[in-house]
Amino acid sequence: MGRTLRKRLAAVGLWLLTFVLMVIMCVPGLWVVLTAFRPNAEVLAKPPVWIPENPSLNNFAKIFGFGADQVAIPVPAYFANSLIIALTSTVIALLIGMSGGYAFARYRFRFKNGLFLGLMLSRTVPGIALSLPIFIIWSRLGLIDAKLGLIIVYVALNVPFTIWLIDGFFRQIPKEMSEAAQVDGCTRWQAFWKIEFPLAKSGIASAGIFAFLTSWNEYALASNLTRSTDSKTLPVGLMDFTAQFTIDWAGMSAMAVIIIVPALILTFLVQKHLIAGLTFSGVKG
Amino acid sequence: MADISLKGVVKRYGRTEVVHGIDLDIAHNEFVVLVGPSGCGKSTTLRMIAGLEDISDGAISIGPRVVNDLPPRKRNISMVFQNYALYPHMTVRENLGFGLKIAKQSPAEIARRVDEAAEILGLGALMERTPAELSGGQRQRVAMGRAIVRHPEAFLFDEPLSNLDAKLRVQMRTEIKKLHRTVKTTVVYVTHDQVEAMTLADRIVVMKDGHIEQVGTPMEVFDHPVNTFVASFIGSPPMNLLPARISDGQVVFAGGTGLPVPTRLADRVRDGQEVTFGLRPDDLTPQGHGIARGGERAQLTLEVGLSELLGTETILYTRIGDQEVQGKMFGPRDVAAGERLTFDVALDRAHLFDTVTGRSVRRL
Amino acid sequence: MTDRRPPFWQREKYTPYLLLLPAVLTILFVVLLPLIFSLYTSFTGYRLIRPESLWQWVGLRNYERIFGDRDFWVAFGRTVIFLTIALNLEFLLGLGIALLINKITWGQRTLRTIMMFPMMFSPILVGYQFKFVFNDNIGILNNALQALGLSDGAIPWLVDKYLANFAIIFAEVWMSTSVFAILLLAGLFAMPRDPLEAAKVDGCNAWQVFRHITLPFLMPFVFIAMTIRSLDVARAYDIVDVMTGGGPAGRTELLWTLIARVGYDNARMGQANAMAYVSIVLSIAFTYYFFTKLMAARRYMGGAD
Repeated sequence: MGRTLRKRLAAVGLWLLTFVLMVIMCVPGLWVVLTAFRPNAEVLAKPPVWIPENPSLNNFAKIFGFGADQVAIPVPAYFANSLIIALTSTVIALLIGMSGGYAFARYRFRFKNGLFLGLMLSRTVPGIALSLPIFIIWSRLGLIDAKLGLIIVYVALNVPFTIWLIDGFFRQIPKEMSEAAQVDGCTRWQAFWKIEFPLAKSGIASAGIFAFLTSWNEYALASNLTRSTDSKTLPVGLMDFTAQFTIDWAGMSAMAVIIIVPALILTFLVQKHLIAGLTFSGVKG
Repeated sequence: MADISLKGVVKRYGRTEVVHGIDLDIAHNEFVVLVGPSGCGKSTTLRMIAGLEDISDGAISIGPRVVNDLPPRKRNISMVFQNYALYPHMTVRENLGFGLKIAKQSPAEIARRVDEAAEILGLGALMERTPAELSGGQRQRVAMGRAIVRHPEAFLFDEPLSNLDAKLRVQMRTEIKKLHRTVKTTVVYVTHDQVEAMTLADRIVVMKDGHIEQVGTPMEVFDHPVNTFVASFIGSPPMNLLPARISDGQVVFAGGTGLPVPTRLADRVRDGQEVTFGLRPDDLTPQGHGIARGGERAQLTLEVGLSELLGTETILYTRIGDQEVQGKMFGPRDVAAGERLTFDVALDRAHLFDTVTGRSVRRL
Repeated sequence: MTDRRPPFWQREKYTPYLLLLPAVLTILFVVLLPLIFSLYTSFTGYRLIRPESLWQWVGLRNYERIFGDRDFWVAFGRTVIFLTIALNLEFLLGLGIALLINKITWGQRTLRTIMMFPMMFSPILVGYQFKFVFNDNIGILNNALQALGLSDGAIPWLVDKYLANFAIIFAEVWMSTSVFAILLLAGLFAMPRDPLEAAKVDGCNAWQVFRHITLPFLMPFVFIAMTIRSLDVARAYDIVDVMTGGGPAGRTELLWTLIARVGYDNARMGQANAMAYVSIVLSIAFTYYFFTKLMAARRYMGGAD
């Protein structure tokens, strides 16, 4: 009896400890979210106001250009740019990644390990280091401050990781499936689209979401390859706030919330697949 | 419906050759089993017939066509895979009909043939389930159903029963045999289990290290193994193989014990030849406990070590000279360890293999 | 009647290369060629404001200059220390959290989800968030400390030499610990029960079980996490750029912020590219190291091709 009680207490203690740790993990983020719903005056108030006294959506209205006072920062345009750039680059990266991932999962060929390693290493080049030559080349090609310029870069940024993930997902589907389909009368192409693709679909979708998030959140390259509302993305736009004399913490927080919400939803959708994909392709080879 | 023929078929992966020029003719409607230990090239051979592996050299024809460069879909064969390879995202009905749908058959025709196959295999109640909801035996049946709906020229089976438990395996074995009788088609069946091979095959092809060792009916392969490998691979418990030397019309074992050279083989051996003497446990039986069968006999008195009671028979572990051998006792009685018994040796069923070549000394 | 041999692009042998062609071309044009170009540039005195200087070959002068530059070495050293501290902390905290969550049965899903929270934040948001939290005037940290009576003045979190470096490491660790925690948790879930029980039967205590059974089993997962992290360590640039911009007065300058300053603000592209190369070599060495470790661990686990 005493032993089970002690065990139960230990379990409760463990849970509490973890929970407190988690809360500490979340507080900074939650504080930003909270700030997004209160006027800037309240943020700057001394002594500090802990709980918003009159929460409102004013900050969001403000940055999207509704309501009485507006900010000079064209958030809707940035939002549209982010969406277009992230979506387009994701779709292209997925197509390339599917083709490459399938090759790695299903074929044996010369230079296989070397190619894989090469693709992965290309991803390790720090964004800021890569941005220098791309900046010079893109400015000659007229791709600076163009959505296309960023899309191309993001495709390349996402291809290695997409290949890694998709390779893992295809490996989980027995090779026999595609062989059975071929014996059943399919061409390899048909076997892929009718059997292997439907089975890997959810995995591929999560690879897509991961690619989308990478593009959506990217800053180092975007901040140097974009100039104006033509191509600036949300993360770059966020920095517009700091250029002003007084930082509009509330407006900035509202924008942060706009950036985080899609990421939040998408990550929840894929968390399971993402972990499975990473560990599977990593461990089981 | 077609015969299949392999001529000098070779498979190489890079520089390693795994199948070394196989010749094999499979007759129309014949049930042929490729059997051998893992890595003997039997699955590779089957996959070359299916078109899932390139043929490095030689030719494979199905019916009148050489199919070397034809993709699987153009070979008009069907295959049952080791893990069944049922499409997990389709129901049983969709699984069965998939090949026909790809072949652009009319929905009515698809339904008719799927129902026909379901009828043959008793799948009626399972048609709307997905593979995940089926038991091992049911999956196996669906896989066979998928193979028969297309009325292929040949069925290929790649170790189809190896994932089933022992009881189910026996049951499915019977079903496959029945299926072959109902749906008359050429069958090529790969297994590592010699019991499956013996029970199912019209003809057995014993393979080892990418070579065919022997082709023959189950009886031929059992009664007249061409070499020590086939002799030890086919039959359970395996044939006793004892190194010996021919001396004065005697087979003399290490340790000095001798037996007469079987009369039918007398002119096939010479004095002083190193041989391997092969004797199945069934042919080494205590007097009064053998299979009543005439023929040349010799007697040996041996000390029994362990014995294993199996019911209608007992396996006896004993030694000839310093060699461990197994005998059998039919209609068993209790045997004490250390007991000395007089054994009948059925010399007319004994085998002699040349020790150097491993080949049977019998006229082939 | 034999069908003719299919054309080469339909033959099995060439299929994988064809499938990989788009990926290889993309990487070639967006990563490899620019890198070759920037390697060339690092041997020129190229300045953005004087385009003709792209052809001005200066040999190793850029490298000589940066290797003789105290600021560069300080930033380099700070980057190495920053990575060492951050990655080790992330690993240890991640391992701790994974073990903790693995122990907990009730409410585990909730905890796991909360743990994922920082992963959803882009580095730029993490940077902004901690710029806000650590703000000396209105930041929640100083406000809280003052409200609790633990401090009476405004602690200059982002200005003081030590505190500012602490702040950027804190932000980095906050952002990336969950990557370790999640992958190690996946490893713990995948762990077979038998060896654990066998070890307990053999008389191992909890620590010995952890040390000799659990930890070796987790190593491949640790290397996966390290490899994944090494792919994006340079994202710390975003955090630092927002929080301090490398300042004040270069007190939090990392290699990456220095590259940006020299390349874009001072427009000395040649020199910046030379520095960029140092950072690239650093990253690649780092990734390669963990990747080979991962491969070795995979072979060890018997899962390799």
